[in-house]
Amino acid sequence: MDPTLTVLLYSSLAAAAGALGALPLLVRGRLPIVGIGWANALAAGLMLGAAYALLVVGVDRVTLSGAVGALLGILYVYWTHWISGTAELDLNRLEETSEAYGYKVLLIGAHHSAAEGIAIGVAMAVDVPFGIFTALAIAVHNIPEGAVLCSILASRGVRRGDAAGLAVATNVSQVLLAVVTFAIVAAAPSAFPWVLGFAVGALVYLVMAELLPECYRQAGPTSIALVTIVAMGIVVLLSSQRL
Amino acid sequence: MVGDISPVLLVFLYGLITALATGLGALPFAFVRSISPRITAYSNAIASGLMLGASFGLVAEGTRFGPWQTIIGAVIGVLFVLLAQMFLRERDLGFGVVHGAGARRMILVLVVMTVHSFAEGVAVGVAFGGGMTLAVAIVVAIAVHNIPEGLAISAVLRPRGVSVAACAGWSIVSSLPQPLMAVPAFLLVGAFAGVIPYGIGFAAGAMVFMVFVELLPEAFEEGRRPRVALIVSATLMGMVLFQQYL
Repeated sequence: MDPTLTVLLYSSLAAAAGALGALPLLVRGRLPIVGIGWANALAAGLMLGAAYALLVVGVDRVTLSGAVGALLGILYVYWTHWISGTAELDLNRLEETSEAYGYKVLLIGAHHSAAEGIAIGVAMAVDVPFGIFTALAIAVHNIPEGAVLCSILASRGVRRGDAAGLAVATNVSQVLLAVVTFAIVAAAPSAFPWVLGFAVGALVYLVMAELLPECYRQAGPTSIALVTIVAMGIVVLLSSQRL
Repeated sequence: MVGDISPVLLVFLYGLITALATGLGALPFAFVRSISPRITAYSNAIASGLMLGASFGLVAEGTRFGPWQTIIGAVIGVLFVLLAQMFLRERDLGFGVVHGAGARRMILVLVVMTVHSFAEGVAVGVAFGGGMTLAVAIVVAIAVHNIPEGLAISAVLRPRGVSVAACAGWSIVSSLPQPLMAVPAFLLVGAFAGVIPYGIGFAAGAMVFMVFVELLPEAFEEGRRPRVALIVSATLMGMVLFQQYL
């Protein structure tokens, strides 16, 4: 298969996985608050594992430009939060039903997915199997993330089907960015260390700014730390088997 | 001159030098004077970034020896921290002027960093076992790598009222297992080489878990979220870069 089609296929798969996040809603009306914490921790661990795998793969090829790229990736997400006024917003509020809050949660979801798309695209540029591995890690990560989003939407009275649709819709930026990033790195190989650094910096910042802060209050440090480190360990182990 | 000293003593001395270098990590904290929850939170964030970055490097190295052994070591490291937490919770602890959860955090960081030095000491000894020609280069490399460890320890101790000198002292103490373990590992390279991935996994697992369970929750509780995230991610990337190029 043409590599660009592979990128399109697997990033679409990852984006679509967000819909599976609506499944827990079929069992119960919405996730209990502890479940939201664990879902965030699971998403955080998978994302940190993906960042680790990218770093290990790229570290021999990444020079100082990779470090500058990482700083730019961190600052990019920092500024997106700052400009959109979501820097200190609690992203998991189930009771808050104002319109402004609803669209901010969707907006931040779309920005979050864009950074993941860059990670998938640059991983595909390393080699296709590694790209598929990263896309699958992000796909699994999108399920708990979708579950959190669907719970928030469900508590605002959004129908389950629409919630699943919105979870996928906020991931569309991921497909776009994956294909564009892959094309850019293929056309200009010298951009590789910059883009790789950017992706890793953005992923780590997203974990620290969006996923981890709330969940400690939702489920307590011990269970959150355990879920995060187990999810991370699984990605680390699988990535080392592949390499 | 060097030839007159027995290689065993030399390995011990080299290990001691690298341990002393850990004390240098206390210096940047000389400027921290006031004890405030904010400063504690951001110092926690610095320590978290340093330890996460160091663990990324450790795991990358450990999985080259054996992925499964590294993971098994990491699981034991996590259990170790859980047990240490339980043990410390049952006691009314004091560390300097601090009592309760703060004191538990300080003691836990010291214990984890000290235990993780055992694994590093083994790595030093085994490295020397390969021949003494690169000895000075290895010593300098390890000594430089120890400075951020002292930095991480001081980041946790200093904002809670420990003096700079005491921070340096505790940092050095945490690295003393290095010379102690380097000697037997040097003498019995064959027996110790197989332990390395387990040791590395243990060190990484214990540090990462401690970051998630003790340091980050407090940082998010007391600090502003974007600032904590900024400090953790920038320090993590800086630490990875530092390990790669120095």
